[in-house]
Amino acid sequence: MVDVAARSPARPAAVHRPRVGVVKFASCDGCQLTLLDLEDELLAVTERFEIVEFAEATSNRSSGPFDVLFVEGSISTPEQAEEIVHLREASTLLVTIGACATAGGIQALRNLGDHDAFRAAVYPHPEYVSSLATSLPVSEYVKVDAELRGCPIDPGQLLEVLTALATGRRPQLPNEAVCLECKRRGAVCVVVAKGLPCLGPVTRTGCGALCPAFGRGCYGCFGPRESANAAGLASHYLRAGDRAEEVGRRFAGFTVNQEPFRSVVVAMDRLHGAHGTREGDAR
Amino acid sequence: MAPDPAALADAGLAATWFGATLPPDVRERLAMLARRERYGPGDVLLREGEPADDLGIVLVGRIALRLRVPERGSVTILTVEPGDLVGWSAIVPPHRSTSSAIALVPSEVLTFAGEPLRAALDADPVLAAAVYPRVLRAVARRLDATRLQLLDLFTAPGAEPW
Amino acid sequence: MIAAAPPPVSEVRFLPRADLDRLIDALADDGRTVIGPTVADGAIVLDEVRSVADLPVGWAAESKPGGYRLSRRSDARAFDHAVGPTSWKRWTFPPRAPMASRVEAAQSLAFLGVRACEIAALLTQDRVLQGGPAVDADYRVRRASALVVAVECATALETCFCTSMGTGPEVTSGYDIALTELDDGFVVRAGSPAGEAIVGRLDLPQANVGQRVAAADTLRRTRERIGNPVPTEGLAARIVAAAESPRWAEIAERCLACANCTLVCPTCFCTSVGTKSDLDGGNATSERTWDSCFTFDFARVAGGNFRPRTRDRYRQWLTHKFGTWWDHFGSSGCVGCGRCIAWCPVGIDIRAELMAVAPPPLSETVLVASVAPAPSTAPDPSTALDPSAAPAPSAFPASETLPERYVDVVVTSTRRETADTVSLRLATDDPALLACRPGQFVMVARPAFATPPISVSRVHQDGLTLTIRAAGPATTALTRLERGAVMSVRGPLGRGWPVEAAVGRDVVVVTGGIGLAPLRPLLDAFLAERERFGRIRLAYGARTPADRLFVDELDALARDGRIEVESTVDRAGQEWLGRVGVVTQLIDADACSGRESVAFVCGPERMMAATADVLAECGIPPERVFVTLERHMECGVGLCGHCQLGRFFVCRDGPVFSLAELGPALRVEGL
Repeated sequence: MVDVAARSPARPAAVHRPRVGVVKFASCDGCQLTLLDLEDELLAVTERFEIVEFAEATSNRSSGPFDVLFVEGSISTPEQAEEIVHLREASTLLVTIGACATAGGIQALRNLGDHDAFRAAVYPHPEYVSSLATSLPVSEYVKVDAELRGCPIDPGQLLEVLTALATGRRPQLPNEAVCLECKRRGAVCVVVAKGLPCLGPVTRTGCGALCPAFGRGCYGCFGPRESANAAGLASHYLRAGDRAEEVGRRFAGFTVNQEPFRSVVVAMDRLHGAHGTREGDAR
Repeated sequence: MAPDPAALADAGLAATWFGATLPPDVRERLAMLARRERYGPGDVLLREGEPADDLGIVLVGRIALRLRVPERGSVTILTVEPGDLVGWSAIVPPHRSTSSAIALVPSEVLTFAGEPLRAALDADPVLAAAVYPRVLRAVARRLDATRLQLLDLFTAPGAEPW
Repeated sequence: MIAAAPPPVSEVRFLPRADLDRLIDALADDGRTVIGPTVADGAIVLDEVRSVADLPVGWAAESKPGGYRLSRRSDARAFDHAVGPTSWKRWTFPPRAPMASRVEAAQSLAFLGVRACEIAALLTQDRVLQGGPAVDADYRVRRASALVVAVECATALETCFCTSMGTGPEVTSGYDIALTELDDGFVVRAGSPAGEAIVGRLDLPQANVGQRVAAADTLRRTRERIGNPVPTEGLAARIVAAAESPRWAEIAERCLACANCTLVCPTCFCTSVGTKSDLDGGNATSERTWDSCFTFDFARVAGGNFRPRTRDRYRQWLTHKFGTWWDHFGSSGCVGCGRCIAWCPVGIDIRAELMAVAPPPLSETVLVASVAPAPSTAPDPSTALDPSAAPAPSAFPASETLPERYVDVVVTSTRRETADTVSLRLATDDPALLACRPGQFVMVARPAFATPPISVSRVHQDGLTLTIRAAGPATTALTRLERGAVMSVRGPLGRGWPVEAAVGRDVVVVTGGIGLAPLRPLLDAFLAERERFGRIRLAYGARTPADRLFVDELDALARDGRIEVESTVDRAGQEWLGRVGVVTQLIDADACSGRESVAFVCGPERMMAATADVLAECGIPPERVFVTLERHMECGVGLCGHCQLGRFFVCRDGPVFSLAELGPALRVEGL
């Protein structure tokens, strides 16, 4: 049995343990799982924070108030749109985690299409299905204090946010391109050396350049970084001979709703001529 | 023997940047339209929104220009120091004061009554040619300064939480 | 390590190809880990090499802007691939390095296959990281532990342009051993006692005439193949002058600001410092990581960003590399290796961009296609340190000693100045800190927090006062410190106010908001010897009366009369009987009349610019107007690269500057 007192640094008993909640909307659960995957640090986290709501991990339930609420998942139904507002009111800090919550997720592809047509194609009684025409990031509905991006989020970044919350410092979540991580770890650029498509230059880092390290291009799951010149990258691919349809598809991924990725998808669609795609296309 | 008011006005005018470069005869004609007014702390020269009848050049002291902001009460947006103009609405239509003017400390203002001044400027092109450019220059300087105030350069952005 | 002249003929030897492993073994026997070129992931990547089998024997490389490919050759040559994406910087200046108070001894290494351009890069980084008053101790140790075995290039990539930068292809200095590959072996020269010792152990035959001629021919062919793609005469001045060129915006349409160019560049040195700790802030460590001027955070300060647009960042990079690097370090920052051209994902070619942004005068274009002349045996002037290129020394007091160490200080009292500003009185007996001059600053560190630069607002017999505004988490935490708290301080840093420039003159001090903090020590200096100066006026602006600093002291100063104090605020309520209006209105011809005046200004840059205009109208020339600037600072000593402004490092060459030396720097947007 681990001696809890020996593991905790000496601390006055009155230190406040922040009340933490973890909730989920339209998502796969993978980002919440990342918290549980922090195996080495999990004990310290549970000592430092009081986890009052985390359906995947504990049967303790709470609807607030929260000092910090981690929110996974995009807002996809009318009920969710209401609930997020209540949760925001019950939380001092609201941190969105993952591509769904920060960017709308891959399900945001429906934002570019005909939602009713999709429902009709999939469900025999679409009138029983209540969903919004859009899947949008949480920040479109309420004020968000911090974002952890990624699909799923990076455990190191999650720990960094928890440490920042516990110590009062600013979390170090660099807003830079994946390329910096590739170069720091010594990975060879797949664009230059292999001519593979890669969104790294316009995507925010945080994953440690995971995909390029395995020899494939980044597909932008952390979303566009600041000053991302997605249009410039798309133009480059077109000049190099790729077809507009392919180029558009590269940006139409987990973070398609975010600008400037979204504009590129729309522009490539137009260029491609859009034969038989969106209207009534519910593949 | 009390000094002649016109001579007093002229002397006051001559000491300001407004009047210092005027040809003496123009300055005298202008001074005839003026009187030196004294104000104690708290005295009101102009009220916001009310007809502006007097144009003034501050000789001594300090005049605060205030705007009424319902949630904040009266906010002083500028103080007029010696040499500056107050109440130019007297010669600019619609002749309504854009702010209130209150003396903060014992002050003395060279005051021109609006109607006679307007009439004199209409009638005397030489006078008008001397007065309007100077008023314009004062307004331009005030506009420049106001722009810098607008940038709110000294506002610390709230401490970024993260 | 630097050879002054080529070795005499008798010292030139020959290593048969079959014996290359003997050289590698000799390096290993010396206790060194050999790092050299290897094939990995479709590129030539530097990595540990144990034998010839690890080298890219029979591989060739080609490159173009935005492209790089390997291909098989039919022969067994091992070094015909010029440079790949990695550079030796990975070992001398690693991507991540812990910052500890003690530098660990570095692994003993041998770099096998260092090209001429790469030697130039090592020498360039030597000047940056250990040639100035502040030395990167970690770099110094690593650099000294690496033996340089150079290889002269027998091929060139299409992206190479060492000839234009005067750095190659011939290896003339900076090596311990140099090899020139021929078909049947290597011509070998030793360039240092360490190199000589190793070569000596190999007991090699002298190179015969045929071999020496073949080596020279090899270099001649390489030189001809490259030509002279970038005429560099006058380039430094031209590119600095091209700050407003429309080309920058055009490049920004293509440039992704992905930072690849800066990270493959062997001379780029900008870094940032990250903090790690456990959940409670314990076990806090700092780590230095490669950074880039293309990132968002690079020029960010609380409440703003000095280089928000891609075009500003690209301009900063190219102008620094080819222009202001001369001002900072006395040489060009580019060595012509061409990596940034090959490894730019969209293929931006700086050779073409330089010609577009800073084209040479017409008469020089004739030379573009010609071959650059072969180098003399004298040390290359473009890489030599040129003392006349450094900023001229001035009457400014500089720090003679630049302490790198942190000193623990104790907070003896705190005072809240305004809603978001606190003054901390610190006790210390550190002589360097107590010698702090007006206008200097310190870096303040607390475990697990970022390290901000803070102005010293007063020097005492027994310590300092720092005045801190809560602008972010680190500074907010400082404003909450209580009496008895301990923190670590490094300094004093920077160039302070030139008090001597005011002797015998009238003085105008114009400041606003928290700007009064770095000026208070200047006022203290004036009062300490009041009779040496003429009339002194202080014009102080603040947002509202409650935002003024040092209110009691200002009132006392006004009553004292030796300094004329005038305050103004941007807006006020009814209780304020003082002036309301911008601080520039406090300066008029009257302030600047009489004897020649000197002005000291501190505040937001826009305010300083407006003040400068008014002062100019009053007749005070830019040589006598001194301002202090704020920029993103991390190291405070000119090593991390963040605070660059044109040809200056604000932390080291400033933060106090005269308007004359700044020139247009303050007016160019996003510089």
